Amino acid sequence: MTGVMARDARPVREAENRLEKFNTDRERLLSEVARRVVARRVAESKTGGDSSLEYVLNDVAFCEIRRLEASGEGSDRWKDLSRRLLGMSDDDKREELRSLVRHYGKDVVGNFDPRVYKFATGIGPSLLGFLFSPTANIKEGMNSLRHLDARIHADGETEVARACAERGTLIVTPTHSSNMDSPAIGLGLTRAGLPPTTYGAGKNLFTNPFLSFFMRNLGAYRVDRRLKFELYKDVLKEYSTVLLEHGYHSLFFPGGTRCRSNIIEKNLKLGLLGTSVTAYKNSVREGAPNKRLYILPVTINYRLVLEAETLIDDYLAEVGKSRYIITDDEFSRVGRILEFFRKILAHEGSVVVRFGRPLDVFGNDVTDDGESIDRAGRIVDPASFVKGADGEVVDDDQRDAEYTRALGRRLAAAYPRLTVFHSTHLVARAVWDNICQNAGTRDIYRLLRAPTGHLEVPVGAVLRSIDRLRARLLENPAYGAEHPLHTSQSSSDKLDTGVHGLSTYHTRPILLRTNEMMTALDLKLLYYYQNRTAHIPGEAS
Amino acid sequence: MSTRADTVGIVGAGTFGTALGSMLARHGRRVILWSRDASIVAAIQQTRRSPRLPDAQLPEPLEATADPKRLASEARFLVMAVSSKDVRDRARELGDVIDGSHIVVHAIGALPAPANRAGTHLVNERVSEILLEGMATQKVGVLAGPALPQDLTSKAYSSMVIASRFDEVVDEGRRLLSAPPALRVYTSKDLIGVELASALSGAYTVALGLADGLDTPIGARAVLITRAIAEASRLGQAAGAEARTFSGLAGLGNLLVRSQGDKSADYLLGRRLAEGIVTADGGRTEGARAALAAVELASSLRVRMPVLQGIAAVLLGTLEPREAAQQIGDTVAFEE
Repeated sequence: MTGVMARDARPVREAENRLEKFNTDRERLLSEVARRVVARRVAESKTGGDSSLEYVLNDVAFCEIRRLEASGEGSDRWKDLSRRLLGMSDDDKREELRSLVRHYGKDVVGNFDPRVYKFATGIGPSLLGFLFSPTANIKEGMNSLRHLDARIHADGETEVARACAERGTLIVTPTHSSNMDSPAIGLGLTRAGLPPTTYGAGKNLFTNPFLSFFMRNLGAYRVDRRLKFELYKDVLKEYSTVLLEHGYHSLFFPGGTRCRSNIIEKNLKLGLLGTSVTAYKNSVREGAPNKRLYILPVTINYRLVLEAETLIDDYLAEVGKSRYIITDDEFSRVGRILEFFRKILAHEGSVVVRFGRPLDVFGNDVTDDGESIDRAGRIVDPASFVKGADGEVVDDDQRDAEYTRALGRRLAAAYPRLTVFHSTHLVARAVWDNICQNAGTRDIYRLLRAPTGHLEVPVGAVLRSIDRLRARLLENPAYGAEHPLHTSQSSSDKLDTGVHGLSTYHTRPILLRTNEMMTALDLKLLYYYQNRTAHIPGEAS
Repeated sequence: MSTRADTVGIVGAGTFGTALGSMLARHGRRVILWSRDASIVAAIQQTRRSPRLPDAQLPEPLEATADPKRLASEARFLVMAVSSKDVRDRARELGDVIDGSHIVVHAIGALPAPANRAGTHLVNERVSEILLEGMATQKVGVLAGPALPQDLTSKAYSSMVIASRFDEVVDEGRRLLSAPPALRVYTSKDLIGVELASALSGAYTVALGLADGLDTPIGARAVLITRAIAEASRLGQAAGAEARTFSGLAGLGNLLVRSQGDKSADYLLGRRLAEGIVTADGGRTEGARAALAAVELASSLRVRMPVLQGIAAVLLGTLEPREAAQQIGDTVAFEE
């Protein structure tokens, strides 16, 4: 890996902050989104059936009535629309469509206030920690968060990423473990000399007025996951497309929601990622094939995860049917957030943000200066991927979806190598392996019912497991790497710091160490932390 | 529609590529055949005949070239019809001249040879993956099925299936290669299935040659064919393919046509194995290589494949042919 930054190094050249012109552009962007969505829907409506405007409008009304009634809110406006639909002329329907697209566009669109950005980053990035202090007691929060910046370590392919940010537009695609990710990646970008990005954030995160203030003014746009109808998704995707076409660096969490299991994400949600292909295709059609877009894989690696308890409970409650939106987790409890900062971020490099090598929107690698290359290393023209036999740009949604799937596979393949293991992960994996050996199974549900004797393992065996795990990491960079600041630490020290972390923050200790034995007190959380290493096969295989 | 969009480029002037090109040209399609062998190119251009297919008169819309750049600039749709041994080199060469707009469909009914002599077979590697490694375009597909060169040149009725993840590849393939009744092109999205089914049919052709060499009764032969399709479907499903693909043109269709005559190298290998002649590595056919690779794949995916395992054991000399036949026959029957 090249371009690893020293802890306190600042980049020589900082990328331009394009968001500074966002507010001037905002109305134009919004109008462009509305124009495109309405034009497309009107054109499609001519085929009738599910594409007819009557159906599209009814879909909106039906979904809104159902959502509002479920939450006990009034839905008269939508019932009225539903009633009027049958009697509406085509002109009326087009007008209603325009009005709705505009309404949802305004709901989505963000804002960027350079003064807020300057306040958040200029006075000291530690103040970004303010985001996590949705409390009346701001003073206490501020004090506890004073050194947040030093706790974030950013490294990886930052030079190439900066070159790509200068040449084109970045789409930053981090792994997603916590609501802390947005500010953590924000600080990570700043430390790496990369520009701030706009990003879609769940509307639930905007309910806190302090948080909302910063997010709204630092380029975030609102994504309301409760709105399931196609028209809303259209608006959202078009907004993202238009932002990219206009050169606004963006951030998507391809995992969608926070990863419940803590396993490195493999199945990525490709909806917003797909807007990168559309945006590039539009630029090629407009005669600007050199308006390149770059996908930047990033991992955010926490020593401990604020919301771990809720996330793993949700995962294990019913695998595959976990809640998509969680509103009552640790992130909503002020005390837990402060506790997190006091105890967890007291450790230097508690969060490592590791940047990978950028890809183009078709999943091709790029050279150091951002030229696309094929797998054999030859320079390729990315514009050719959207062209037909005569060099004309061809619209083909299925082709573009396939490109996006290929991009998703490349991204998912990049994450394990970029994973950084803290002592908490290594210790959790070592203890877990020993427990599994005792019980003769790796199935969490069986282990949860296992006799308590199986949950006790000798410290010596755990130390030997840590040694072997570290040796395997050195041999196989594709598995990820140890924390860059702690590679010289002895396994014994790793064990001490890991056990300390795992036994001091969460509501009950995960591990208990007594003389020569270690006991797992919270198997679910042990499973959660060892899951970060789940892509590393067991030693026997 | 431009000439370029309506032209089919064929990589490799072997028997199948030349027969396909000849048939398409006969139906008015412009075809460019790329061969590295200058004498073949000259023969086609000057005499309208190819030494690889001497009986066929090659119509005018078929041109031959030794220049890959010309192939890539004059045709966007390319069919790769080379031996599985040559696919890596050809993909690399082609990769020098094509871009992301090209469509490359291969007609190689085998699993590729290992990247190097020392290495073991990459068990998950299919020809389409070699193509993706070697060239920029992602629009790759496979063309497979029981269309023999002699059928294509003799104006007999034949059918093939084209598969790709990209609708564009499948649609263009169907448009450019369909020449009914000489060739009907069916379509599929199951790229993995069609590639595996086609490759495995070569492996099972070895098995059928061996069974015939042992004078297996016709009923037992029928059982062998149906069990082969069943186990191939299991392997395919485990590898991400659709089971029904294996009873289609690329699977059952290919197996039936290859096992009927004495011209298939795989079938003849099976007959020689039955006679007790264990062939050395260099003499193995594409079907034999597919059998060995597929056994590794089955092992990694934990799929039970008694027929294929029996053939592999005979190929490796660890079982006598009659012992293998006995073992396959003794396999415990489960629900079909």
